[in-house]
Amino acid sequence: MGNPFRQKIVPYLYIAPAMGITFVFSIVSMGISFYASFHDYDAFAGASAFVGLDNYRRALLEPDSYFWLSMRNTVFYVAMSVVGVLVTALPLALVCQRIRKGQALFRTLYFLPSITPGVVLALVFFHIFGIWGGLLDSAATALPALAILGVWSGAGYNMVIFLAGLADIPPHLYDAAKVDGANRWHQFRHITIPMLRNTLVFVTVMTIIGAFQVFTSVYIMTNGGPERSTEVITFTIFINAFSVAGQMGFASAAAWLLFAVIFVFVFIQMHIFKSRNVYDG
Amino acid sequence: MPRHLKHTMIAVMAIGLVIAVLWRAGMTQGWLGSLDKTAPRPIQLRIWDWWSPSSNEEYGDYFAALEETFEQRNPDVNLVYQTVPFANYVQKLSTAMVGQTPPDLFQSSVFWAEGFYQRGMLHPLNDLISNDPVNSDGSRLEEAAFLPSAWQHNHTQEGVVFGMPMIIDASCLVWNLDILERAAQQDDEIRAMFVRHPEGSVDYDHIRFEAIKDWAHFRRITKKLTTYTPDGEVDQAGFTIQAYGGAGVLPPWLAGNGTRFQDLGGSRAMFDSPAGIETMTFLARLYWEDRVSPSFRRELTPAERFQEGKTACIPAGTWSGKDIIRNTMGWDHFGKTAFPPGPHGSGQKTVTWGNMLVISNRSPNVEAAWRYIKFVCSLEGNLLRSKYLGYNGPRLDFYETERWQQALAERPYLSNVKQICLVGDKLRHTEIIAADHQANPIVETILLRYPDIMNGRGPYPSIEAAMHEAARNVNKVYERYNRQVTQWQGQDE
Repeated sequence: MGNPFRQKIVPYLYIAPAMGITFVFSIVSMGISFYASFHDYDAFAGASAFVGLDNYRRALLEPDSYFWLSMRNTVFYVAMSVVGVLVTALPLALVCQRIRKGQALFRTLYFLPSITPGVVLALVFFHIFGIWGGLLDSAATALPALAILGVWSGAGYNMVIFLAGLADIPPHLYDAAKVDGANRWHQFRHITIPMLRNTLVFVTVMTIIGAFQVFTSVYIMTNGGPERSTEVITFTIFINAFSVAGQMGFASAAAWLLFAVIFVFVFIQMHIFKSRNVYDG
Repeated sequence: MPRHLKHTMIAVMAIGLVIAVLWRAGMTQGWLGSLDKTAPRPIQLRIWDWWSPSSNEEYGDYFAALEETFEQRNPDVNLVYQTVPFANYVQKLSTAMVGQTPPDLFQSSVFWAEGFYQRGMLHPLNDLISNDPVNSDGSRLEEAAFLPSAWQHNHTQEGVVFGMPMIIDASCLVWNLDILERAAQQDDEIRAMFVRHPEGSVDYDHIRFEAIKDWAHFRRITKKLTTYTPDGEVDQAGFTIQAYGGAGVLPPWLAGNGTRFQDLGGSRAMFDSPAGIETMTFLARLYWEDRVSPSFRRELTPAERFQEGKTACIPAGTWSGKDIIRNTMGWDHFGKTAFPPGPHGSGQKTVTWGNMLVISNRSPNVEAAWRYIKFVCSLEGNLLRSKYLGYNGPRLDFYETERWQQALAERPYLSNVKQICLVGDKLRHTEIIAADHQANPIVETILLRYPDIMNGRGPYPSIEAAMHEAARNVNKVYERYNRQVTQWQGQDE
C-alpha cells in the first residue's frame, strides 16, 4: 500500500509529456485555426479584420472555392478506401492466421508499406500507374488509382489489427461450432464476423478518418488533376493555407468544415455499430 | 557469437551513430570552433539558398570557391550557408521573418521576390546601388550593366530595386539536330533552318535564331518531322506538348503572339484576350489536328522524350543544356531558338526569369550583405558560375568575355542563348501558385478535351468560354492578393 495521493498523481506525471505535446501542437493549433477561420488571416502578417462567418460562406457557396467539388472527390475516395481495406485486410489476416510457418515474415512483408514514407510510395506508384496504361492521365481513373495506392499501403497495418482481433476470439467457440456441424462459411459468418465487430468498427473508423485526410499521394502524383478529378479537400486547404497570400482564414474554415464532416460520419457510424460484447450471455 | 560480444558491438554501433549524428548536425560546432586558433570574424553573414553545396560536386566546388575568395578578401565576415528546399522556401522565410530570425540575405526566385518585397521583407537596394556600385574587379552593379530582360524582375513599377540579378533563364525551343540533319538531306525548308558556313555549306551544329518564321512555319516543320507507326501512333514526334503542366505551357507562346499571361501591375489576367485564345487554340490544334505530338502522358515529360531521341523539338529552358548532356551521357547535338511569332505577334519572343540576391530588411549586416551581393553579381561572380555550374550570366559584359567565347566554341548549342534571353518578356509573377490553381485545370481540360469542346460535348461550350472562366477566377486571385498587399502596407505604416 503506497501513499494514495502519490498513487493518484504518478500516472498523470507519466502522461504529462505526451499531454503537453498534444496540448501545444494539437489543442493550441486547433484553437488558432478556429480563431483564424473567423478572420482575414495571413500566415505572414497574422490576423487582421474579423469577418465572422464569411470564410465559411465563401467555402460553401462560392464556386471558385472548389469546396464541394473537393468534398465530393474526397467522399468517393473514402468509400473506395473503406471497401478496399475491408476486402483486402480481413482476408489477408485470415490467410495469415492459418499460416503455420513464416507467419512473422508475411506479417512483416505486408506491414512494410505502412512504414514506408508516403512520398516514396507515391513516386513509385506514379511510374507503376504510368506503365499500367496511364491510370493517372484520365479523369475517370485517376481517383480510383489513388485509392488503390491508399488501400495497398494501408492493408498491412489493418491486417495486423485484424490478426490481433482474430487472436482474441476464444477457440472453443469454433470447436463448439464444429461439433454442431458448422462449415467454414458458417463459422466465419456467425463467429468471426460478430466477434470482430469492435475491430471492424475500429478499422472502418480509422480508415475513414485517414482517407478523409489523404494528401501526399495527391500532392505528389496528380496535383489535383486531371481536370480537378483528384482535388481532395486537404489539397484545397493546403493550397489556400500555404500557397496563397492571406487565405489562411479561408483554409481554416474549410478545415473546420472537414472536421465537422468527419465528426458526423464517425458519430453516425459509432451509433450504428455501437460497441458491445457478443456471445457473453 | 558470445552474448557479451554481441552487446558490445551493438553499444559501439549506437555510440558511433550518436557521434556521427551530433557531428553532422553541427552540435559540436561550438566545441570544434574553440579549437580554431585563428582570429574570430565579427560578422556572421547568414545566407539562405536552395542551391546546395551537397547537390553534387559542381555545386560543392562552386560554393567552396565563392566562400574562399570572399572570406579571403573580407576577413571580418564569416559566410554561413543554409540550404532550404525550394518547395518550402516561402513558408520557411515567412516563419523566420515572423520569428525574427531571417537570414541576412538569400537567393530569391522571381516567383516570390515581388511578394517578399510587398510583404515588407526586403531591404531596398537603391541607395546601396547609387552609393557603392563598383566591385573590386571594376564591374558595376547598376541597370545598365545587365540584360534588360534580367533587370525587369527585380524592381517595382515605381523603381524600387529589391534584388540583384544573379542568373538569367529563358524559355526556349530545343531542337534535336540529329533529326533535323537527317530530314534536311531531303528537304530544303528544313535545311534552311541551319546556319551556313562562310563558304556556303550547311553548318549542322548551329540552328539559326530565326529558323522558324512564324506559327504556320512551325506547324509545317513539325508535321514534316513527325513519323507514325503502322497503327497510326506517333513514332517520332515533331513537337511534344504536355497537357498536365496546365497554364505553364502558355507564357512563351503568348509572348510570341504579342500578349502575356498577366498585366505588369498584377491586377488582371490577359491570357483570355483574342491573342491568348488564338494561342490556346494553336496548341490544342497542334496536338489534335496536326498530330505532331505523342499522347499526353503524365509520367513522361517532354524532356524525357527528347532525351530518348524520339522528338524533334520540345519547350524547355536555356538552362537545360547541361541536364540533357548529363542524362544522355554526353549527347550535345541540339540547338535552341526562341518562340516564333503568331498572327498577333512580331519577331521571335519568349519569357525570361532571373533569380536574384536580396537582403532581408531585418538584417543587421546590410553593408556586409551588399559586399557579398557585389561579389556574387559582379562579372567575377558570373564567371565563377559559368566555370563551375555552366550558367550563362545576366550581365552584358559576361557575353564579351573570353570564357563565354570559349563556351560557345565548346558547346555550340549555346549559340543563340544571349539572343533568346534578350527577347524575353517578364514571366508571370503575381501569386503564381494561386493563379495556377485556378487556371491549370481549365487549360488542362482544353488540351485534353479539345475535340469534345469543339463538338459541343465538352465541359465548356467553347475555348473562349473556358479561357474567360479561367481569367475570371485568376482575376479574383489578383483582387484578393492586392487587397492583402494593401493590408500589409497599412501595417507597415
